[in-house]
Amino acid sequence: MTLSRREVLKAQAIVAASAAAGITAPAAAQSIITEREKTELTWSKAPCRFCGTGCSVMVATKDDRVVATHGDAEAEVNKGLNCVKGYFLSKIMYGADRLTKPLLRKRDGVFHKEGEFEEVSWDEAFDVMAEKFKTTLREKGPKAVGMFGSGQWTVWEGYAASKLYKAGFRSNNIDPNARHCMASAVAGFIRTFGIDEPMGCYDDFEHADAFVLWGSNMAEMHPILWTRLTDRRLSAPHVKVAVLSTYRNRCYDLADLELTFTPQTDLAILNAIQRHIIKSGKVNTDFVDKHTTFKRGNPNIGYGLRPEHPLEQSAANAAKAGGAEDMTFEEYEVFLEDYTFEYASELSGVPVSRLEELAEIYADPKIKVMSLWTMGVNQHTRGVWVNNMIYNAHLLTGKISEPGNSPFSLTGQPSACGTAREVGTFAHRLPADLVVANPEHRKTAEGIWKLPEGTVPDWVGAHAVLQNRKLKDGEINAYWIQVNNNLQAAPNMLQETYPGYRNPENFIVVSDAYPTVTAQAADLVLPTAMWVEKEGAYGNAERRTQFWHELVPAPGEAKSDLWQLMEFSKRFTTDEVWPEEILAAAPDYRGKTLFDVLFANGQVDAFPISETKDHPNHESGHFGFYAQKGLFEEYARFGRGHGHDLAPFDAYHEARGLRWPVVDGKETKWRYREGHDPYVTPGAGIEFYGKPDGKAFIFALPYEPPAESPNDEFPFWLVTGRVLEHWHSGSMTDRVPELHKAYPNAVVYMHPEDAAELGLHRGSAIKISSRRGDMLSRVETRGRNRVPRGLIFIPWFDANQLVNKLTLDATDPISKQTDFKKCACKVEAA
Amino acid sequence: MREEHHLSSLVIHARPETLDQVVRRLEQEGCEVHARIELGKLVVTLEADGQRTLNDALTRIQLLPGVIAATLVFHHVEENALEEEMSA
Repeated sequence: MTLSRREVLKAQAIVAASAAAGITAPAAAQSIITEREKTELTWSKAPCRFCGTGCSVMVATKDDRVVATHGDAEAEVNKGLNCVKGYFLSKIMYGADRLTKPLLRKRDGVFHKEGEFEEVSWDEAFDVMAEKFKTTLREKGPKAVGMFGSGQWTVWEGYAASKLYKAGFRSNNIDPNARHCMASAVAGFIRTFGIDEPMGCYDDFEHADAFVLWGSNMAEMHPILWTRLTDRRLSAPHVKVAVLSTYRNRCYDLADLELTFTPQTDLAILNAIQRHIIKSGKVNTDFVDKHTTFKRGNPNIGYGLRPEHPLEQSAANAAKAGGAEDMTFEEYEVFLEDYTFEYASELSGVPVSRLEELAEIYADPKIKVMSLWTMGVNQHTRGVWVNNMIYNAHLLTGKISEPGNSPFSLTGQPSACGTAREVGTFAHRLPADLVVANPEHRKTAEGIWKLPEGTVPDWVGAHAVLQNRKLKDGEINAYWIQVNNNLQAAPNMLQETYPGYRNPENFIVVSDAYPTVTAQAADLVLPTAMWVEKEGAYGNAERRTQFWHELVPAPGEAKSDLWQLMEFSKRFTTDEVWPEEILAAAPDYRGKTLFDVLFANGQVDAFPISETKDHPNHESGHFGFYAQKGLFEEYARFGRGHGHDLAPFDAYHEARGLRWPVVDGKETKWRYREGHDPYVTPGAGIEFYGKPDGKAFIFALPYEPPAESPNDEFPFWLVTGRVLEHWHSGSMTDRVPELHKAYPNAVVYMHPEDAAELGLHRGSAIKISSRRGDMLSRVETRGRNRVPRGLIFIPWFDANQLVNKLTLDATDPISKQTDFKKCACKVEAA
Repeated sequence: MREEHHLSSLVIHARPETLDQVVRRLEQEGCEVHARIELGKLVVTLEADGQRTLNDALTRIQLLPGVIAATLVFHHVEENALEEEMSA
């Protein structure tokens, strides 16, 4: 049979799509069987580099370039499907302005803060950088150096960074951009369950009878999971979808129950649900008695603003935000008394009947319910509370830790879980849920790292927003940013972020693949290898760890973050950065480089290059040992035997990821449930073993108003977020011509009647201003996002429309995560 | 501008009651519908002679009334004509 190439490809396309859809392919297409080799491409697996879903993609390379990608049919997560972002993965590395050489601001041949960027060698770059770090450490100590990392770091990059800072420089001033994204979810898990990350997994999608979206535009942000949810809803007609949001988004197209609420009132809605569960006699008493404890959380905890702000001055519990005291079930019932449906309706604007219908989804013991949330819940000055309160609904009814009954926190970044959370690259954490404030935990870390006692400092470092404040105030002076665009991403840019970058006392280093807004404000820019230009590991939202091999070389002199961290560590000796008392007690460590004590320690360098089995690996080739394997195996020691077990390194290069804890080669789908989770004591049935007594906390938490609400002068709520075609700040996706053309500039979504009242119409040029800054944009009154009156939505990807000039740097006082979803602004014709 | 040929396949989820209408609109967008499940699933291919054409079509498809999700499965692009013969 002779066919055109087009016919062959088309048949391939149909067969692949049919398989992914679970449909039998048309016979005509099936009969054409083609060989991959015919396309002369080499195919390998890699997790997608974009969101936290963790889709596996097949990556085709030819002549050292990635030329095509498609969904991996063998992957449980995405079953061959791929979203628009994933579809263009093959192009993100090939933007015309890719950075290929270190760039240093210079004047008259030497570094100058006000100089112009000039290309320099890696040696010169690291010489200048090391000198700045050494001067800062010598003059001001470890609290004056800092690092801002990422949930896009690979597992070993985050681990190496954490080790370099916490053990090498002895500074806990390291935090990831996951602070902007997941911190409230983390604190929610720790507070309720004593251990981070979801108990369930994506398999819950196929078992649930109802889905409740609490502030998550899954249709645009997690398209593959949305497809799984849609598939379940359409193939099982009894399934219901409830969508809560502060504006109508694409998820409403599938919603059986729409609940558009006034910002911040999710707190009241959740309390009304708990009240209904109790009043209607639907509490699962047996479960609640055996597996839960009631706690009254401290109220009036402030808004994470600078301490001198009047809102902090008047917050009684600003310094004890995470505190709680014991209470009884009866006291909890009394606490909820005020939260009638009528009261919640009055605050939220959602009709009583819809609130009742929502509450009944949780109350009805026959309905298996999956709650899903992302930034609407986490980017919230009471984000930890909302997380806790969603768990309350699942705990009161016992709807948890079994197929289909699943409170499920979704993640935004590919390794927010795997790197930021599990490795613990936060200012207060160490790997596997250990924390720097606990002396036993520090001792564990020092033991595994083979370092002298007292190396890891006991003070909690500066979190994301605090780092910016300290840069502005001149308290942090040597600062390194990797894999993120924080100048664009952080709140209150002009007042709190930009001043710190250009503060003449500070030296700012940015490692990136592209000249982002952040890179352009830096003093030194380091060109970075990305995604399949290095060997990597990510951990997705369902505790799945996935690996990939280096597949193509990075352009020019670009090097991975891992290479940069390890190579930079060679420039410091322990005598330069550790105090005399540590060295006196451990004289063997004198005169060694940080590279020697952190990476050439007999563990990280334990595996020979031959174990890379001829896969390219630019770091290992340079350092002379299989760096990724050594780092991973050392890191895995923190969690093995402690509920965070990872499989042996090599297993992940074979599998399409495995969900931890992986015990005896077996992954865990549902934690805390006997029969699924090997850590549950036999006979216990359920055991929340993150808490010493195995009981999860149900928290009594009130409705409290937001930090800033609209008034006569600033009459609109401002909500920021993402759009499907751009991921986060657009530093990668803006390089893909197709994505850029689809959505070239941010627009302001506005209600047509609000626009008309201001004499505006679709396309009008406008100025949006808040108490902190202003920006220009255009009005959009149609399209995918339909906002209610009195609220505007602006996507934040556009480097030409920096919406964070407007936002307020208010954070959740417990999680320190910024609330990007509500502040007050005004709109006028430009 | 280089000549490019794009060939892609998609799985489309749509509300069952809108399926006929969605199929019609997809065909107007230049899609070929190859398989259909009445619960609300379609397998379609889409071809285009340029990145922009393809992407505009993808955006429009995702926003068609009744379409809940449009997910790509296969995408092939090359600069040469696809009509060369090969044996299968």
